[in-house]
Amino acid sequence: MDYAIQQTLNALSFGAEYALIALGLAIVFSIMGLVNFAHGEVVAFGGYSMVIVSTLLTNSPWILMAGVLIACVVASVALERVAFRTVRGADLTTGLLTAFGVSIILQNLFLLLGSPRPMAATQFIFLDKTLTFGSVRVSSLQIYETLATFVAIGILMTFLRKTTLGMAMRAASLDFEMVRLCGIRANRVIAGAFAISGLLAGLACIFIMARRGSVQPHMGFDPVLVAFVACVIGGFGSLPGAVLGGFLLGIAEVVVLVLLPQSAGGMAQAAVFTMVALVLIWRPDGILSPAREKGDKI
Amino acid sequence: MRLPLNQDQRKGLVGAALLSVIVLAIVGTYALWGESYQARILYATFVNLLVVVGLQVFTGNANITGFSHAAFMGIAAYAAAICVTPAAMKLISLPDAPWGLNAFDLSPIVSAMIALAITGVLGLLTGLIVVRLSGVGVTIVSIAILVIVHSIFLHRTDIFKGNQALFGIPKVFGLPHITGLVIIAIFAARLFRESAIGLQLRACADDEAGARSMGVDVYRVRLIAWVLGTMFFATAGIAYAFFLGTISARPFYFNFVFLTVAMLILGGLRSVSGAVFGTLLISIGLEVVRWLETGPTLAGLKLPQMLGLSGLLLGVVIVAVMAFLPNGIMGNREIEDLFRRKTKGD
Repeated sequence: MDYAIQQTLNALSFGAEYALIALGLAIVFSIMGLVNFAHGEVVAFGGYSMVIVSTLLTNSPWILMAGVLIACVVASVALERVAFRTVRGADLTTGLLTAFGVSIILQNLFLLLGSPRPMAATQFIFLDKTLTFGSVRVSSLQIYETLATFVAIGILMTFLRKTTLGMAMRAASLDFEMVRLCGIRANRVIAGAFAISGLLAGLACIFIMARRGSVQPHMGFDPVLVAFVACVIGGFGSLPGAVLGGFLLGIAEVVVLVLLPQSAGGMAQAAVFTMVALVLIWRPDGILSPAREKGDKI
Repeated sequence: MRLPLNQDQRKGLVGAALLSVIVLAIVGTYALWGESYQARILYATFVNLLVVVGLQVFTGNANITGFSHAAFMGIAAYAAAICVTPAAMKLISLPDAPWGLNAFDLSPIVSAMIALAITGVLGLLTGLIVVRLSGVGVTIVSIAILVIVHSIFLHRTDIFKGNQALFGIPKVFGLPHITGLVIIAIFAARLFRESAIGLQLRACADDEAGARSMGVDVYRVRLIAWVLGTMFFATAGIAYAFFLGTISARPFYFNFVFLTVAMLILGGLRSVSGAVFGTLLISIGLEVVRWLETGPTLAGLKLPQMLGLSGLLLGVVIVAVMAFLPNGIMGNREIEDLFRRKTKGD
């Protein structure tokens, strides 16, 4: 029983982290059709901002958290302005490769200006404590992570449904031209999407940093790869799909880790990716892919 | 007498011959003035050239980005290496290999054939899945293939040695072999591009529904190109293993994928000449940058050591090409088009 609760929480917290990053990818994709592989570097940038702020300013974790969130939003919006505006409206491959290029540039900038070795940033580790409920021992970080993700998804849903900008963003994912004809600035909608994506990256960054306690140039790559897979499983461009895909992957990862013998631990990633390939053969456009009609933007 | 080739295909032969002259000129320059350490760089460049030309066959003609080529290259490299390494050596390097893999050895040619066959079968099996997917689907499945193959290499240390080197492979290849292979590859890729199937594939890339309505079997032509592409990657992998004499799993992963994709898009996806020029330009650029990275003394100025500069350059090339030259240097042109005078209506 304890074991089952522990593993459920594992699955939920893995899933929450993947869902946060996947949502950041999906919101940008749904509006401008860009697979933003540089999203992981935004997360890494959040980590580096921690190092910078804590050396220059303060070690207070709450200020650092705010700093990480602001840094990720600024980085994400800046990337759109500098790199992705030129390929707006280009085909999918062009956008994908540009994003890969940006991601390589940022990784190597971290390498050049930071250090190839991990740099310690342990201010958030206090979030990770072992809590004991009767006979069940769980990590507080996993609970925070799951709760924060649900809250973030709730706020995002309210934002997309109730505010003008949110509604414009939802409309833009169906027909961007029409939204512009209605007098909404295209730049504002896209910048909004990148800002939200950056905010979600910042949230994910806080939890990743609380777990790792260090930052290194390539730390954003693996999470974004998994999130990309989550988006594809859920249906690219569908926000509920991204969340579903994230949690499915979290569950799959835990199931694989539980079922596979200890000696085959290294094969977990291979097993998860095999399942992904199978899902795609079953539904090539993802589980919750939006119905496509003639004239829809992909 | 009617020639067996149409006009475009004859142009293709001329173009491939011109590219081969460039390749031979490079080898000739090396033979006359090169230093011996440069043989390794030149060989690596030619292995990359094989891969990039192979990428052009599927990614270029079908305009669908795949990232699994490093995986196929790795499979072929390991298959060839395991077959060709002498049994006595394998008892040391792979002491607990299953299925008697360390109890036999074969001649290099048979080993290469086996490696090609294994990669080809895997290419066919994955191709059956890949060709049915749409744009992003292909990219994700090809990434899945890459990750799956890489984790198998890392995990089955009894067969592949993981991150450690698999050593003792006879070094049977040299510069002449790879030069021959590169020239064959250039001709093959160019003739494929101009063949009926290549034309149909390019038509699908421009307008899939239109091509379908003209009777093109989209899945079939994509599958042929995918499998043909894996043959190029397999050849590159075999050449890699046969020259270095030692291989590990690390080179067959994302870094190599980005490098080769950058080479392809710099030159221009759609043409074989573009693939060749892109590879040569980036290889030269990277050599210069690697030299800068080590912090050389330039005109009396000691430059600092700058790790990551070569990666930075690669990223800048990708982003700049995508932003300012989305069709690459060559676009839709091949080398012989550069020499032709522009006529009316061109």
